[in-house]
Amino acid sequence: MKISKHRENINRFYNVLDVLLIIIVAVSVILFILYPMWMVMVKSVNIDGIYSLDIYKNLIKNSTKLITNSLMVAISTTVLTTVMTVIISVYASLTKKWVGRLINLTLMLTMISPPFVTSLSYITLFGKRGFITHDILGLTLNTYGFYGIVLMQSLGFISLSSILLIGIIKSLNSDTIQSARDLGADTGSIIFDIIIPMIRPGILVVAVLAFVRSLADFSTPAIIGGSYNTLAAESYFSVIAYSNLNRAAAINTLIFIPALIGFLIFRHYMNRLPMMGGSTTGSDGLNLPRSGKIYRIFGVLTILFLFILIMQYGSIFLSAITKKTRGVMYFTLENIVESKNHINTTIFRSIGYSLIAAIGGTTIGYLLSYYREIRKVRLMKVIDFIATMPYIIPGTFFGLGYILAFNDYPLPLTGTATIVILNVLFKQLPFSTKIADSTIKQIRPESIDSCKDLGGHEMNVLKDIMIPSSKPGFFLSFINNFTATMTTVGSIIFLVYPGQKLATLIMFDVIQSGKYRIGAVIACLLILVVMLFNISFYLLFLSDKKKTKQSSN
Amino acid sequence: MKKKFLTLISLLMVSVMLFAACSPTKPAEDQKTEVADDKSGEVKEETKEEPKEEPKEEKKKTEDEAKLNFEGRTLNVVATSESYVPLFEKFTEKTGAKVEFLSMSSGEVLSRVKAEGGKPMADLWFGGGLDAFIQAKNDDLLEAYKSPNAEDIDAKFKDADGYWYSKGITVVGLLVNNDVLEEKGLEAPKGWKDLADPKYKDEVIMSSPAISGTNYAALKGWLDLWGEEEGWKFFTELNENITAYGKRGKDPFEKTIAKEFAIGIIPADKSAHDAMKEENVTLIFPEEGIPWVPEGVAIFKGSDNVDIASAFIDFMYEPESQKMIAEIDGKDTNQLVKPGAEGFDLGLDPSKLIDEDLSTFGSAREAILEKFQSIAGDK
Repeated sequence: MKISKHRENINRFYNVLDVLLIIIVAVSVILFILYPMWMVMVKSVNIDGIYSLDIYKNLIKNSTKLITNSLMVAISTTVLTTVMTVIISVYASLTKKWVGRLINLTLMLTMISPPFVTSLSYITLFGKRGFITHDILGLTLNTYGFYGIVLMQSLGFISLSSILLIGIIKSLNSDTIQSARDLGADTGSIIFDIIIPMIRPGILVVAVLAFVRSLADFSTPAIIGGSYNTLAAESYFSVIAYSNLNRAAAINTLIFIPALIGFLIFRHYMNRLPMMGGSTTGSDGLNLPRSGKIYRIFGVLTILFLFILIMQYGSIFLSAITKKTRGVMYFTLENIVESKNHINTTIFRSIGYSLIAAIGGTTIGYLLSYYREIRKVRLMKVIDFIATMPYIIPGTFFGLGYILAFNDYPLPLTGTATIVILNVLFKQLPFSTKIADSTIKQIRPESIDSCKDLGGHEMNVLKDIMIPSSKPGFFLSFINNFTATMTTVGSIIFLVYPGQKLATLIMFDVIQSGKYRIGAVIACLLILVVMLFNISFYLLFLSDKKKTKQSSN
Repeated sequence: MKKKFLTLISLLMVSVMLFAACSPTKPAEDQKTEVADDKSGEVKEETKEEPKEEPKEEKKKTEDEAKLNFEGRTLNVVATSESYVPLFEKFTEKTGAKVEFLSMSSGEVLSRVKAEGGKPMADLWFGGGLDAFIQAKNDDLLEAYKSPNAEDIDAKFKDADGYWYSKGITVVGLLVNNDVLEEKGLEAPKGWKDLADPKYKDEVIMSSPAISGTNYAALKGWLDLWGEEEGWKFFTELNENITAYGKRGKDPFEKTIAKEFAIGIIPADKSAHDAMKEENVTLIFPEEGIPWVPEGVAIFKGSDNVDIASAFIDFMYEPESQKMIAEIDGKDTNQLVKPGAEGFDLGLDPSKLIDEDLSTFGSAREAILEKFQSIAGDK
């Protein structure tokens, strides 16, 4: 009797908690994503108090080229990113263990792309007189324009998406693959006929994230777009050159349309895909013969990509430890010593904000996905849809939306630290929910049923099944949010007050003062900090995972 | 155990977040309220009244009083770059007010203040092209203050009503990358007109004048130097040599250093002088004349610290500070607006500075940019 009474109490508590969690997730998403974006849209039709659609009429008449440019870039970046991601992650999963680890490490290092510094390093390598294009290959290419934007965007997206896909491949059920192998299938056909179809949900996530991120990216086209303009760059331009908020708001609203279509297509396919009945037993890697043409082509492409990445980050590191006199380079620690004057305690503030944003964002993302995917709460479909939006609009505008929304009653948050944290947290929410979706989809419905058959409350499903089985995804979402917050500039430059600067803004300051080398030192420091946090978080999860594995054996 | 722990942590985070979102008192605001509290109303009122009418003696006294009051308070500044830190430190040393700053382009500043419905994002706006300051004044975003130390400043370097001041002028120069010129077998240009020579096709980089105050000054300077017709004719020719206009103010500098272009139109500031020592580049002042632009300084309307910001403007015009600004910016005496102020000897010939019509500097902006757009197109 006593036991059942206790049970009842727990269940009652769970019921309250359940409702509370749903409300918290729904309200926070509406308040911190939909409301600011709504304010942006209002701004695009409300010009000094008068409602009009003139801006749109003008935009549509004069900006067809911008729209097609944006779409061309987004589609090409999506294709390139997705193809390369599949190649790299399949290769990394099949190759020798230490090579796979090395690839993973390189990807993790290069997942962090400090703004400005990476684009400048891209120019030093691939520019008109870039090290690779000009000095090694002897070419004087005009890298500005379409190809430059697509290449640089893909270069920036691939590392993170590969880590994501490697994680998904790791959790594949190796039985199917093993039986195909027993039937005599070669590595190439196993890759194409079994592995790739099995990871289709993951591939879709990679593709849709690349598509919307490319649409919203304004800094790449601004730096290497040359005369090739995109919608996102144009909206940024409206803000900084003409301080024309109405026009910028309208452009951002326009960016929604293709992004929305892309997202709807994604949702359609995602829902039609069968659940991947995955058991996590295959984590010792796929045991396939490392041979065949396909495998070798994948290998060459992976190594080529890694080489480019290493060169790019190597050049940042080199800038941090060298100086020049009249064009002649020499090694020195001066930059590092000098950078001490610039950084001070800001780095700790950055870490603090990033930690909160990472844990909070990941938690909300997982809860959202849980209520939508497992509990099938109808409302959550709408909420999830809203939660994808921050990836679609350029960061600058998500920042301005926050100003418009929280400048005044009822929630006067501008000028506080909270608004900055909330902004970065919700900016990364789309990633968290997508990761959560792809890991949750792997949970077998049977295990949920059996939990409930055993008398478990819905909350037990969340606590005992979902959380433990989605650790790799949780980890990935955490490091993404942490990294993104550590390196963000666009959305927070409009929210931060002079006294609350973050490390990236200091990097922006010094680069603005023409001290690129000091900027490179700060970039290296950011990479180092992010790496340390990622590794320690990874170890925390890894050791945990081993234990569960042992106990399950 | 670990599972439980994780659940607990997740739930804790959500609730913390919720509380964080609901409670309006954040550390940053605490600081602000504190500041507002220990500010003595007396000082504020005194500075807000027309200080010009006060006798100089009394003004001095006010300053001394204010000096004591600034202890524990913070002046928030939007600056163009972080190089002014030594100047801010000096101000802290003198007045006790801590200085915090943020780098932002003038366009971003305008957008942000507009989006915030005129709520000030900082107390002081330090540096940036004058056009933005004139626009801000017209949009009623600035606070007027008449600095006693600015009385001897030429009328063109300050607003008649005290809404903005100049901390100095930026002169426009050419940064040429000698390696690129050598590779292409070209010689360095001597003047503006050389830039329009077809041999420099695709080797000239200029930022869009809509974004860069410096490049707007260049364009305005050519129009003032040669007159509308000839000025636009020159620009149309120059446009042929330009592949695309930079979308960031720093673009011409960074890309000339990176050997992407042979010639960049840049502000001849400290970073250009430093670059000459580090890279194989040369700074050239075009022979026909040097365009220039006053760098604005202003107080944001509705700032909590108008008294400190006003004191900073007074401080900025003190001989010692002028010397410091000259050092930080690498400015020639002729780039300083305070009569008798000492600067670096860079050999800038004052007669070379274009006789610019500052009265139309702000008012003509829109028309000039429109014409620019019609010539430059989508570039």
